[in-house]
Amino acid sequence: MDMQLELNVRRRGAMSGVLTLGSLDPAFEAAAHIAGEPVVLDLRGVEFVEPAGICGLAVLLEHLTGRSEEVSLSLSGWNVPAYLERMDFFKIFGGRVRTNADVASLEERERHDPGTLQELINFRTEDEIPGIIERISEILENRGYRLRERVAICSTLSEVCSNAAEHSASPCGAYAAVQAYHHIVSGSRRRGEEVLIAIADGGVGVRETLSRNTKYAEYTVTDNDALRYALKMGVSGTGEVGRGGGLTLVAQIATRSGGSLSLRSGSGRVTAYKNRKSSRIVPNFPGTFVRVSLPRTPAEKKEKDRE
Amino acid sequence: MISLNTVRIDPVPEKRAQRVFEVAGGNFGGRLMVTRRAGRAVREALAEALEGLSENGTLYVDTRGVEMMDYSFADEALGIMASRIAGGEYGDKHLVLVEEERDLLENVEASLRQRSLALIRVNEIGGEPDIVGKIPDHLVDTLKAIYDAGSITNAALAAKLGLNHTACNNRATKLAKLGLIHRRVETAAPGGRQYTYERIA
Repeated sequence: MDMQLELNVRRRGAMSGVLTLGSLDPAFEAAAHIAGEPVVLDLRGVEFVEPAGICGLAVLLEHLTGRSEEVSLSLSGWNVPAYLERMDFFKIFGGRVRTNADVASLEERERHDPGTLQELINFRTEDEIPGIIERISEILENRGYRLRERVAICSTLSEVCSNAAEHSASPCGAYAAVQAYHHIVSGSRRRGEEVLIAIADGGVGVRETLSRNTKYAEYTVTDNDALRYALKMGVSGTGEVGRGGGLTLVAQIATRSGGSLSLRSGSGRVTAYKNRKSSRIVPNFPGTFVRVSLPRTPAEKKEKDRE
Repeated sequence: MISLNTVRIDPVPEKRAQRVFEVAGGNFGGRLMVTRRAGRAVREALAEALEGLSENGTLYVDTRGVEMMDYSFADEALGIMASRIAGGEYGDKHLVLVEEERDLLENVEASLRQRSLALIRVNEIGGEPDIVGKIPDHLVDTLKAIYDAGSITNAALAAKLGLNHTACNNRATKLAKLGLIHRRVETAAPGGRQYTYERIA
């Protein structure tokens, strides 16, 4: 019999029906015990997928396809399959994963979605990154994003992708996706626009990377210790002067505009906000995951702030 | 950033070699400068340009055509370059950044601060010099005095700053080692040596 993998999709509140990285926790746990048998991943309770969800799903499927002879996705409705199709999900996984959704009919539909800034993309090396940045920068420019916003989005993507390419040693490479929303999706719903950037890899994780530097031993006891320490200026696995500034500066860019940066790796989860950091022990994530929220401020308000 | 706030009084005495390197002009990615790998390519090109320069020459690195530069690129291209210059790898050749006061400088500033280094920056070639990065407070006045003068002997500088000659020479030597000024040695009357400090931009 096929093994059924359940997800943890909330039924109530602001995050009801949303596929987040946390939704995938039970499936990641179950994936660790699979020994070849076919599995079905049940996404029928999902109504909405954010970049974090799609990147997490990609890493999960990489794990599952390596451990199971057949992986099937159970989808319902039209919105989620259509969104996955628009995000190039089936382009990447169509050949490796079975699904009950009629992908061919989705492909014929209009693909235009002004909110998609970067479809799900898989990359392995640093030299793929300038091309990714070139392309998203052009999209942002065409959609009227101001220079400051483009710089924030592009540098977040380039720094975090570089980290993944350089340190993760992830057998499946890393996945990234960027989506813009006409309302705030992180935390409590309020007015305003928000850009979400997610990058996930199936690599060694932050604690392992920092542990290579023996002088960090006391800061890498737990995954949360390592994640908090990784956000400090100048902390890097190599320990060379000048290294370890990218993530810190990216967190600064996000938090000073009222956004946030979350890191998950192993059993750790740390989120940086403007004046505080929160950490929690969470179910194991086999790799490193970064989610950045960048709220968009209307141009008029920015002008006022400057006065 | 600390403004040097200078008014050029004397022209730089010797005409030294100048060369301009436009970062957005080469085959390095144009307006968007990201990743260490891309930074390394630019740094190698900068090293080549510096090596091709005659002694005491100044290489102006013009980043004004660049739209964005991430921290990794800034550190790899300019941070490591500044560190090699301070390490004496390029002898008496200097590097000056040509860039306006804008967000792009944040990452350059962050990289140089991490490394406790600095670069001279001008808005345009011939423009008023500023410092990007970090130098100890007590060296800022010394640097200002040298830039105000354009060219000044150790004795004159010591008098201006109210320092003894040795202390003054130590400070200026540090600035010369960081690559922020040019130091010239002249043999003076019987067996003595006189140092003259000059601005590089």
